[in-house]
Amino acid sequence: MRARRRRRTDWAKVGLGTFVVLFFLFVMAPIVVVVVVSFGEAEFISFPIQSVSLRWYRRIVEYRPFIDSLLVSLQLAFSSALLACLLGIPAALALARSQRPLAQALATFLLAPLSMPAIVLGFALLYYLSALGFGVSFDALLVAHTVIAIPYVTRNVIAVYRAVPGDLEEAAAILGAGRFETFRLVTLPLIKPGVFAGSLFAILISLDNLPISFFFGTSSTNTLPVVMLSYLQNQFDPSVAAVCTVQMALAVVALLVVERIGDIRSASV
Amino acid sequence: MTAGDIAAVPARRRRARRFVGLGLGWSLLAVGFLLAFFLLPLIDNGIKSFFGPDGFSTAPYRKLLSDPYYLAVTWRTLQVSAIVTVASLLVGYPVAYFFVRYAGRWQTLMIMLLIAPLLTSIIMRTFGWQVLFARRGVVNVVLRDLGIIERPLNLVNDPAMVYVGLVHVLVPFMVLSIAAVLQRIDPRLEESAMILGAGRLRAFLSVTLPLSLDGVATGCILVFMLTNGSFITMLLLGGGNVVTLPLLIYQQFNLTRDTAFAGAMGNVLLVFAVACLFVQLRLIARRGVKA
Repeated sequence: MRARRRRRTDWAKVGLGTFVVLFFLFVMAPIVVVVVVSFGEAEFISFPIQSVSLRWYRRIVEYRPFIDSLLVSLQLAFSSALLACLLGIPAALALARSQRPLAQALATFLLAPLSMPAIVLGFALLYYLSALGFGVSFDALLVAHTVIAIPYVTRNVIAVYRAVPGDLEEAAAILGAGRFETFRLVTLPLIKPGVFAGSLFAILISLDNLPISFFFGTSSTNTLPVVMLSYLQNQFDPSVAAVCTVQMALAVVALLVVERIGDIRSASV
Repeated sequence: MTAGDIAAVPARRRRARRFVGLGLGWSLLAVGFLLAFFLLPLIDNGIKSFFGPDGFSTAPYRKLLSDPYYLAVTWRTLQVSAIVTVASLLVGYPVAYFFVRYAGRWQTLMIMLLIAPLLTSIIMRTFGWQVLFARRGVVNVVLRDLGIIERPLNLVNDPAMVYVGLVHVLVPFMVLSIAAVLQRIDPRLEESAMILGAGRLRAFLSVTLPLSLDGVATGCILVFMLTNGSFITMLLLGGGNVVTLPLLIYQQFNLTRDTAFAGAMGNVLLVFAVACLFVQLRLIARRGVKA
């Protein structure tokens, strides 16, 4: 009886385990395929590749729109994350510990852009900002991306700040630290992991954003995903695979850097 | 009141209290920004969709809700979201269950593999499927070598590919939502049920599954909501066979620039999103009471 039950348990575990392995094959397959294809030599996309070369990486450098739009994308991602931090961190600190229903309603409102279909927001913002005189410009893109970035920053900072006991700041204040000193020396170091995590998400989301960015596309404001999409619709060669691989490498590096900083921070607290 | 009127001790206490709760006023910058550039544009869009070149008109909505083609598109949007949600649930639940109950020291690796796709652009993942499902792609070659098919299938523009692509993008959200709730369920509850004579399946169905429904609901709402707004997968993998509202907005904007109509379609999508958000908030509120 006992032996039979154990064997049944194993069977369930093996079955589920196999399923999970297949699942991760499914999850990783398209990503691995793109990375491999980007190192191909042939003019057309084939998998598996016949010979290894870096020609499609050279093609990225030669094809101006890729580089130009990458620069626009990076500039946009970092500036919208910075703007979102400037707006979102004070808000997160103000709302995190308040029990008032108003504070909770406001916190929900700050997260609302996450739940709205981005394509509708992009469309609405295009006409709204044009009416305000922003036109189709980098500034308009910056405003739109900041709207999307604010929820990520606020959510992460709120989560971290809620876990920090209020005593620490109170102690600093009692010991005579001024308002700004307390913020700089106590609060800011404590919430730093949240700020970094929130900014990282905001940057990654901005770099990948298409539903908003494509509404604001001109030759000087095209972001990388917009250029990639139009390239993909006209040509089908491995250079897009190379761009994707570079983009992924950047994201992985950013994640490692942030985790590094986050770890050092929490280790020293 | 001058500074001299305030004694040292009360001043310090007053200051201390201030630090514990930064005033709500500090949230005004962010709230104001979102009012101006998030809420107002959506409201503005809502109003504008009722005003065509000849003043007030409900024509876009009449077209959307009476023309069989557009009605079918609206219906298909919900249908695709529902199918992707159910498929993600069926695929994601066993993975979440394995993660919580059996993964052990593999948990870190599993988390990393679940998050890895989120670090890649959606174009990359969609492009990967295009390569895999191409006429001379891996899937066709394998199927032919196994003798299952004789001629390469034209998979790229098949509606099924859209579902594969969407599930691939969204299933990590489902797994993470369910795993978060499963983790809080005491495994001894299931063991007790088995000691009391329930079979493994019965113990799961009558103990663990009901307890995990909160996570299932959270994941489902999230996936449904995210599918509702997707169009890149439909655009690149659907070959025009799976037309949903977001894709139609994209096409209308690029081709016809019929802004009133695109705005109206956007508003219908927005209604779906607000409905999802409402359900989501209800779920969170319920969980808050429980905790």
